[in-house]
Amino acid sequence: MTSTAGEHAIYVRGLRKSYGSFEAVKGIDFEVRPGEVFGLLGPNGAGKTSTVEILEGLRPRSSGEVKVLDFDPDLQKQRLKDRIGVCLQATNLPDKITVREALNLFGRFYTETVDGDALLQRLQLWEKKDAGYATLSGGQKQRLAIAMALINNPRLLFLDEPTTGLDPQVRLEIRDLLEELRAENRTILLTTHYIEEAERLCDRVAIIDAGQIIAIGSPRELQERSANQSSIEITLTNPWRGGDLPQWQHASSCNVSDDARHIKVTSAQAARTLVEMVKWIDAQRLELDDVRLNRPTLEDVFIELTGKRLRD
Amino acid sequence: MKALLALIIIDLKLALRNRSVLFFNYFFPLIFFFVFGYAMHAEQGTRIVQVVTMVFAIGILGNGLFGAGMRAVQERENDVLRRYKVTPITPVPLLAASMITGVILYLPGLLLMLVLANRLFHMAVPPNLISLLLFAMIGCIAFRSIGLIIAAVVNSSQESLILIQPLYMAMLFLSGATFPLSFFPNWLQIVTQFIPATYLMTGAAGILQRGETLAHNWLAVVALIITSAVGLFIATKLFRWEKEEKLPSSAKLWVLVVLLPFVILGVYQSWSRDELTKSKLLARDLSRGHTWLLQNARIFVGNGEVIESGAVLVRKGKIEHIYRGAAPDPKSLSAEAVDAAGKTILPGLIDVHVHLGATGGFTDASAPPDMKKQMDRELAAYLYSGVTAVRSAGDMTDEILKARARVGSGLELGAELFACGPLFTAEGGHGTEYAKFVPEPMRANFNAQFVRTPQSADEARQQVDALANQHVDAIKGILESGAPGFPFNRMDVNILRAVADAAHSHKLPVAVHTGNAADAADAVAVGTDSVEHGSFADEIPDPLFGEMKAKGIAYDPTLSVVEGFSSFAKGDTSLLKRSLVQQVTTKELLDGTEHAATSEQTRAMREGIGRYPMSLQTGTSNLLKAWHAGVMLVTGTDAGNFLVLHGPTVQHEIELWVAAGIPADVALQAATFNAAKLLRADSRVGTLEEGKEATLLVVDGNPLQDVRALSAVSMVFMKGERVVRSELFKQD
Repeated sequence: MTSTAGEHAIYVRGLRKSYGSFEAVKGIDFEVRPGEVFGLLGPNGAGKTSTVEILEGLRPRSSGEVKVLDFDPDLQKQRLKDRIGVCLQATNLPDKITVREALNLFGRFYTETVDGDALLQRLQLWEKKDAGYATLSGGQKQRLAIAMALINNPRLLFLDEPTTGLDPQVRLEIRDLLEELRAENRTILLTTHYIEEAERLCDRVAIIDAGQIIAIGSPRELQERSANQSSIEITLTNPWRGGDLPQWQHASSCNVSDDARHIKVTSAQAARTLVEMVKWIDAQRLELDDVRLNRPTLEDVFIELTGKRLRD
Repeated sequence: MKALLALIIIDLKLALRNRSVLFFNYFFPLIFFFVFGYAMHAEQGTRIVQVVTMVFAIGILGNGLFGAGMRAVQERENDVLRRYKVTPITPVPLLAASMITGVILYLPGLLLMLVLANRLFHMAVPPNLISLLLFAMIGCIAFRSIGLIIAAVVNSSQESLILIQPLYMAMLFLSGATFPLSFFPNWLQIVTQFIPATYLMTGAAGILQRGETLAHNWLAVVALIITSAVGLFIATKLFRWEKEEKLPSSAKLWVLVVLLPFVILGVYQSWSRDELTKSKLLARDLSRGHTWLLQNARIFVGNGEVIESGAVLVRKGKIEHIYRGAAPDPKSLSAEAVDAAGKTILPGLIDVHVHLGATGGFTDASAPPDMKKQMDRELAAYLYSGVTAVRSAGDMTDEILKARARVGSGLELGAELFACGPLFTAEGGHGTEYAKFVPEPMRANFNAQFVRTPQSADEARQQVDALANQHVDAIKGILESGAPGFPFNRMDVNILRAVADAAHSHKLPVAVHTGNAADAADAVAVGTDSVEHGSFADEIPDPLFGEMKAKGIAYDPTLSVVEGFSSFAKGDTSLLKRSLVQQVTTKELLDGTEHAATSEQTRAMREGIGRYPMSLQTGTSNLLKAWHAGVMLVTGTDAGNFLVLHGPTVQHEIELWVAAGIPADVALQAATFNAAKLLRADSRVGTLEEGKEATLLVVDGNPLQDVRALSAVSMVFMKGERVVRSELFKQD
């Protein structure tokens, strides 16, 4: 695959970042296409934040080629910042500033801005427009942060952990909002701790660990590429007392529970194996209580690749 | 630009929503304003200016150090700055907005204070209001930048407090913002010159009190501007958006770089002392601006009138009003009342004939005297005694003019000094004999400073012109032939006439020393304005006194000097024992003189003096004749000669006059109104009238009944300042 920077919203080749003798980013390559939602997953300290901050123009890189919206973040910092939207994870505003004032203030920093009031209405903040920042709930603060990231009508959005620390209901609200943004064909670079968020929102994800990208692709591709097999779990109404089980086609392992009612089989071709198993149950005149087919999740892939859980 | 404007507006809005900002910017300074104002009785005169100056500086200090410094750190700590970091703006508009917001927040408080000062404490509207506001803005920006540099170098709010608190306290207490600098010992005053806030104080005080502009304070303005620029530059360079970015502790040294202009200024000022001089003068101005009501007193006006019970209202250094009978409530006049029941208020006494270069006695010290110290001390001794003006009738010209400048500006507190400069005499004439006591290498300079011996009328005119250019107050000539055994060359009368004419062309009065009646006649003939000494040797004929009266020529009998000479010749030191003399004279001088007047070593000298043909009786007789003839009498003493010690000279001269039969009121008028007229200062001093300078003497009792009451000095006021007499001899 050959590609050039021009076709991409983000283009990264051989990016390295060192802090003294510690190398946080060890030469990574990836690109984000226009209109794509790209997820960057990785455990704490993997080099995620360094990478994103280099892309946002906040931190100089040590080496490598980086283009963001065709700008070099090191050399064209102000112009880049003028065109991107950033929603930071840990940020604050002065306690007494109102929602509307904050949005209008930040609007003043950019060459192009959209109507702040319309943005507030869209993000369901209109009712709160005159409320002080300190009085807002967590979800409202996050919606305001997203509104501020959108005030310059950016084609490229950086969303850093946009739902972290919010309660589940609010998290769902924010995800709906991100779905909307995605539908507007904006390019989004998302970092998150929530695997299911990435699975649901991202067109592609990159898994980064110890300063390197260890996997990149759509969530489904990653799942399929996984060495993990699907598993079939069947539950019988009565215990199986018939001795050894048959060797079903494609099955790689087979376990029977102590009460002899649950049978778990792993298979590289789960659908085929399942057909065989059902035939066998019929033949044995057994009553089937439940069948469950488990595909490997992105989380399983993540654990498989990094040996770590994403959220500790 | 649009970002800067938006940031300024939001900063202002947020500040107005923040109670602590409002408190520190408006409420806190106003507390100081009212506490200082009422504690210092600021309504009683110009002390309100000091209050305004203090609060001016306190406001800028708080606004800069806490307003800018603390807020910037807090915004970083609370991750507010982090949000700005991802936008296209740089630190410059953020820092600039903080500076400008500080100014905008500060100015209304300042204006409010000026209005309150005007309404409640009668402070005049500052004539250079624009300069004051500009100075406030420059000061505010400079202190904001100091605040911002602190914010830039600390890693937490706690650290910034640790840095700001001591800086704030030091600036508060060492700048004169809470205690006037004059309270400080000398070494601490030097320290104050390194404190930026000191320059805020002296700058604002100069503008408010003395009508200065920014240009007069250019050094301070330049230092403040450099501090602002360097502060903004370094704050930009060290700017950190996130609390996670730490700076090493050594970064705190940048604060010193920002303060560097003031380190340099401090070094310069420790050397030049311009600023300390200025703050001393400002303090003097304030002391002179107090409002006093001296009430229930007998008032000797000076022009012949006596008010048996009345009051004098002193405001802004002048006599604002003389009340006959009861005065209004002092509160209604915003005046500090002084009860003077049983006392007499007189215009300050004037001695028209002294020599500050001589002490009047002897000291055992072998080192040559420090002329500056000696003259300052003598002028302080006069003021202590209520002699508020003296005329030097012959001294080293440069030294006497410098001394005149010191007391004239108020830098040193002492009697006002009028100076004749050198003596016009003949080669080998009276005045030239002192050179023989001067070591040869210094003699030429001594002569240049002390005498003029013109050989022609032209030379005389040129010499007078030159002295007029040095702004002497009078010209003195000598007509003296001496006596058998004490011969002097007498000055050519025609040359003396040229001297007198030249002096008059410069509107300078002429004083002529005379040794006998013939000298006096020639002095009158050349057109002198005063005959000094008259004659102790022979009787001056009545027609000459008649001519003097007709021409308005003053007669200064200087009886004190004849008495002094004869007392010394006799070894009689009772003149040293007078109470005021004991109070104002140094112990070395008293002891040395006592010793010299009685020791064997000086016997020959004393016997020589004793042989000089002059008599107090003749002097007294000529004085009485002058009085009878209606001649204008003035009091001079020739202090500095034997046993006529600087200080309460006029008191003793008057005692001699009264003992001779001159009425007390005549003698007192000679010492006040007439002497002021002779010095051409009667538009300012010499009488207690509205509009005259409030330079006056308060004595216990009634000197018109008993002139010894003149020595019972109760209070002395110099140009409106109530002189703390016990402090006079402690001046630096």
